[in-house]
Amino acid sequence: MDRADIKKALKDPHKWGEKYSLWATYFCTGCGIIEIPPVITARWDAERFGVKPMATPRQANLFLITGYVSVKTLKAIIISYEQMPDPKYLVAFGSCPIDGGLYYTSYNTINHLDRYLPVDGWIAGCMPRPEAIFIAVTKLWKMIDGEMVDGYKRYKENIDYYRKNQERVLGREFIESMPPPVTVRT
Amino acid sequence: MKEEAIKQGIEQRYESCLVTVPREKRVIVSLPKDSLFSLIAFMKEQGFQHLSFITCVDWIEEGEFELVYHLASYEDGIHAIVKTRVDRADPVYLSIIPLFEHAQTYEREIHEMFGVEFTGNDRLTPFLLANWQEIPPMRKDFDTQEYSERMFEHE
Repeated sequence: MDRADIKKALKDPHKWGEKYSLWATYFCTGCGIIEIPPVITARWDAERFGVKPMATPRQANLFLITGYVSVKTLKAIIISYEQMPDPKYLVAFGSCPIDGGLYYTSYNTINHLDRYLPVDGWIAGCMPRPEAIFIAVTKLWKMIDGEMVDGYKRYKENIDYYRKNQERVLGREFIESMPPPVTVRT
Repeated sequence: MKEEAIKQGIEQRYESCLVTVPREKRVIVSLPKDSLFSLIAFMKEQGFQHLSFITCVDWIEEGEFELVYHLASYEDGIHAIVKTRVDRADPVYLSIIPLFEHAQTYEREIHEMFGVEFTGNDRLTPFLLANWQEIPPMRKDFDTQEYSERMFEHE
């Protein structure tokens, strides 16, 4: 950190802490996860940006959806996302979570992730390069500074909309088994 | 040649089956469904100890499902493909679990993706699909684009 930034950081240390401790949930969906090992290891070293993978969703606050989301994976993603403590950031990686991509006509792959979960950022491409993750992370910093990352708030406000769409794909039984989303702060 | 010996052995025992040897180390057998179970048992004795997988083909115009069993022999390195056809309107067939126990997983998948019933397999429960209410998705008359648009493109 630059010395001149110390003043800025001390002005809002909470935000500063959030920005530089992004812990990514180690959740592999689809083919995009193949970009993650070089990103977190010596080749690109995501730790320079404060991003590290975390084994459990309960200690993580960044969720990268790396690739196509099948219906069964969506179930696991929703459960993991709701376990993560606030504030949490969901970034869709690759073109499949955006509009279905290559699997647009598949009977078993959802087409638009933002109908089931609030997405804070999108990384387009098939596959995006590891550098794209760092561009996304720096954008996320700016958004955290400007208090523009409100996905987790939107999720609670519009829970009926999201639950309705989730029920359509996953069935009533799954929705009834889910607890109402609660605010958990780190 | 080992393949020719296998071909003759099968043709002697099963009259109504068609055996071809398209190339080295490859044998294709197609036969009516009544004798398939005993043929696979016979081939297992001949050294085909390994069932690679079972797959299914939907011949919608002929109104039939084709079940394809892939067997492999470790000793001779021969890959045998055994095919049979079942009626598409009433797709019921015998399970080959007594011969190859791991066939259960393949039969579960075919049951889910094509709707073929296997008598003798007591675990034909939902397997890969979640919350599925349509006809089995791998059948040719299932329109996956229409389903995808109806299910995932709503507002």
